Amino acid sequence: MAQEKVYASPETALADVFEGAVILVAGFAGCEVPRLLLRGLADRGVGGLTCIFSHDAPANEPANASANESAVHGSVAQLVDKGLVRKLISPLPFAPGAGGVVEERWQSGALEIEIVPQGILAERLRAGGAGLGGVFLPTGVGTRFERGREKRSFQWGEALLESPLKADFGLLSVAAADTLGSVVYQGTGRNWAPVMAMAARVTIAEADRIVEPGGLDPEAIITPGIFVNRVIAAE
Amino acid sequence: MPERLDELTMARRVVAELRPGQVVALGAGLPGRVPEAMPPFATGTAPVQFLSESGVLGYVGPGESSRPGAGALVDSGGNPVALGPGGSLLSLGDLAGMLRGGAVDVAVIQPAQVSSGGDFISWTTAATPGIFAPGAAVDLAMGAQKVIALLPHTGSDGTRNLVADSSPLTDGRNCVNLIVTDVAALRVTEQGLELVEVAPGWTADDVAALTGAPLTVAPNLREMTLAWNDADADAATAGKVYPDGPAAIADLPEGATVMIDGFGGPGGMAHYLLVSLRDQGTGNLTIISNTAGIARSVNFGTPPGRLAIDHSILIDHRQVRKAIATYPVSPSASRPSSFELAYRRGEVELELVPQGTLAERLRAGGAGIAAFYTPTGVGTLIAEGKETRTIDGKDYILEEGLRADFCLIRGHKADTLGNVVYKGTSRNFNAVMAPAARITVVEVDEIVAPGELDPELIVTPGIYVNRIVKRPEDFSAYE
Amino acid sequence: MVAEKERLEREVVAMRVAKELPDGGYVNLGIGIPTLVSNFIADESVVFYHSESGVLNCGPLAEEDEQDIDLINAGGQFLQPVDGMAFFNTVDAFAMIRGGHVDVTVLGAHQVSARGDLANWMLPERGVGNIGGAMDLAAGARQVIVAMEHTDRQNRPKIVEDCTYPITGKGCVSLIVTDLAVLQPTPEGLVLKEVAPGWSAAEVQELTDARLIIAPDLKEYEL
Repeated sequence: MAQEKVYASPETALADVFEGAVILVAGFAGCEVPRLLLRGLADRGVGGLTCIFSHDAPANEPANASANESAVHGSVAQLVDKGLVRKLISPLPFAPGAGGVVEERWQSGALEIEIVPQGILAERLRAGGAGLGGVFLPTGVGTRFERGREKRSFQWGEALLESPLKADFGLLSVAAADTLGSVVYQGTGRNWAPVMAMAARVTIAEADRIVEPGGLDPEAIITPGIFVNRVIAAE
Repeated sequence: MPERLDELTMARRVVAELRPGQVVALGAGLPGRVPEAMPPFATGTAPVQFLSESGVLGYVGPGESSRPGAGALVDSGGNPVALGPGGSLLSLGDLAGMLRGGAVDVAVIQPAQVSSGGDFISWTTAATPGIFAPGAAVDLAMGAQKVIALLPHTGSDGTRNLVADSSPLTDGRNCVNLIVTDVAALRVTEQGLELVEVAPGWTADDVAALTGAPLTVAPNLREMTLAWNDADADAATAGKVYPDGPAAIADLPEGATVMIDGFGGPGGMAHYLLVSLRDQGTGNLTIISNTAGIARSVNFGTPPGRLAIDHSILIDHRQVRKAIATYPVSPSASRPSSFELAYRRGEVELELVPQGTLAERLRAGGAGIAAFYTPTGVGTLIAEGKETRTIDGKDYILEEGLRADFCLIRGHKADTLGNVVYKGTSRNFNAVMAPAARITVVEVDEIVAPGELDPELIVTPGIYVNRIVKRPEDFSAYE
Repeated sequence: MVAEKERLEREVVAMRVAKELPDGGYVNLGIGIPTLVSNFIADESVVFYHSESGVLNCGPLAEEDEQDIDLINAGGQFLQPVDGMAFFNTVDAFAMIRGGHVDVTVLGAHQVSARGDLANWMLPERGVGNIGGAMDLAAGARQVIVAMEHTDRQNRPKIVEDCTYPITGKGCVSLIVTDLAVLQPTPEGLVLKEVAPGWSAAEVQELTDARLIIAPDLKEYEL
């Protein structure tokens, strides 16, 4: 019998996360942030992590501005606060000047940050998940994002070579999953999850609802189970 | 100094700039107020479609605050919003493609600083000079036909947000077309900033005093326009629904490149539009498709005594000059397809492409990706004449994006805004091709009103569909 | 005459391939013998089928009277609807393949070389061929197994030192299962691992163009 994809708890689903792992964290502006898994990761306490994520709280109330509160809910800021994160890759790691633990650690030199515009990040993750060796994007031509990148002219104009991004683990929060790992989202909860699910070696979803195969409309499935390795029930 | 405009009034100035039928992408911050500034419209109509970097297309003003996290619908700033009729949802991968692909008419962003050359810096502060947070602003500014920067004229400490010189650290080069602030509206011209409108009570000199760049004053300088201009509303909403197939492709020109799906069987193929194209007789076509018409020569459930309609009808009618395809001939040499026979006679050209590479090239075309490295075809005939490159120890070949003039797709249902749902495996190439053509025509079984399709189920958003035709009920996929 | 000796049925070849499929794995089956493999999965294991037509976890072929034109496999055959299937477009179908998410593909072949080059998309005498999804599968699937007859219709060896037909992928084949033998291409050459009942290594060599390295633990076909 095949390995069951449904895991009992965040602890069991995260048991093999290792020191120095690269972790994708889905969620946009506080919408469908995988809080249970992030809290599980904070509890597990392995360090040296690289986290790739967008803002995990609404831009106008950054999670890092109230680290105590966010620590309760689970957030990337909480992992940073616990000193578990070596590097962040994000289009919007914190609101500049808003304070908070991410900015503090970055200012003190304890945290490395790589800024990648949202669309470039999405495309680099998709390239990683889709087995491409690199993509030439027009985004960023003539800007600071040219630095260190190969530029060429193509039929539709100039473009910069972006490298694929892959990760060891991907953490998602989803509306529903079936036991084969297929997933549906709700509203803007979809955000980063589909591209991140493709780009991670092990993708873990916390689902509001877990159903048997056939419980999801096959036309509605956004992320097929081939991209999702583990599912846990959100409380 | 006179009073400055409040946020909502600034947003109303942006609304005055929009036109019915446009797709308008809104970034985080002030642009989030724009939907609130739209005048009320009749239920079931959507004069413009707002696109948020959170992955929602076709939303309207502030919405019910749903429980945090799950199932929420938020805008770029994380504020709850409501979905308009015919709205749909996107992953951020789909969104990135939509922005780069050029499907967005207007983008509204809030940068920290704009230069007189239309460069902008997204978000940084004096306290953190080494860090900046572009979010999606870089993508928004790069992809849209027109970029509006919406920002306060000065910072809270009096710093000037409009500056003369651009920084080498810009987040967007020469891309802002119009600047709307709390005191003025300015156009970015070849000669620098032109002051076109001032807030009530403000003079050109007042504005110039707060601006860090030289200004020219428009001869017809006037007070800020704040009214929604719906002059061409009727034309814009006149609609994508065409009476029949011939009408929908009447302007498909001689020599056009046309995408037409077709996998194995009769599913997923726009048979009615194919017949319309044959009857129209347009020639010298390049067709981009999976097969070049094999359903006719292979029995995939064809009723006895009848012939399946596929690309062969165009080939038999001598309308095709070239095919770009992955599976151009019948699997059996003893039952050659029309394409194979024409190929042997030297009447058609063939560009043979691996299936995954074709799909990826089409996605690239629709998503504004110039080219990509793929491992498929390394060391084979496909690699001939193409760059081969070793990246991290693995070999790849470089393939370029592919676009077309027309795309004929087969959907199951569409709403009048052009949102499409498919059925089963008939989704395959149709959904990939739709964004990659200048004019995409969809043939469906049923046309419904906006709001009647479940937004979670919409596969191809209407932004990619120009024309809709209902397949006649008595139409048969066999001749 | 070696050429006239009895060979294994196609079903037996498929049965042998089925043993290679990992429990819980994602598998893409090509046309021909590969399609038969799904009939021989052990009762206690589960395999999830992927099709380039845009469906995952797909079911068995449909009966004649239950054909749905919107539910087909990559070969254009009609499928039965089953619980747990998921639909997607072609670009996602191939992201799954190239991205290394498909564990195993089983393909037919015109020729396979000693180092695992695969040729299965064109016979030069026809002058034109179909690539379809074969090049992506060859380049992208984690493991490529070839299931085929050992020789062609003229009894010429299909396992060769170097492919003479246009290739689909270089060095991509990890296992070859034929109606005579199970062979493994390696950097050192082609290793003969199993032979069909009643066949000797020497007899298999006679019908193989590439020079065989006999595995120290050479066995009879294990089913």
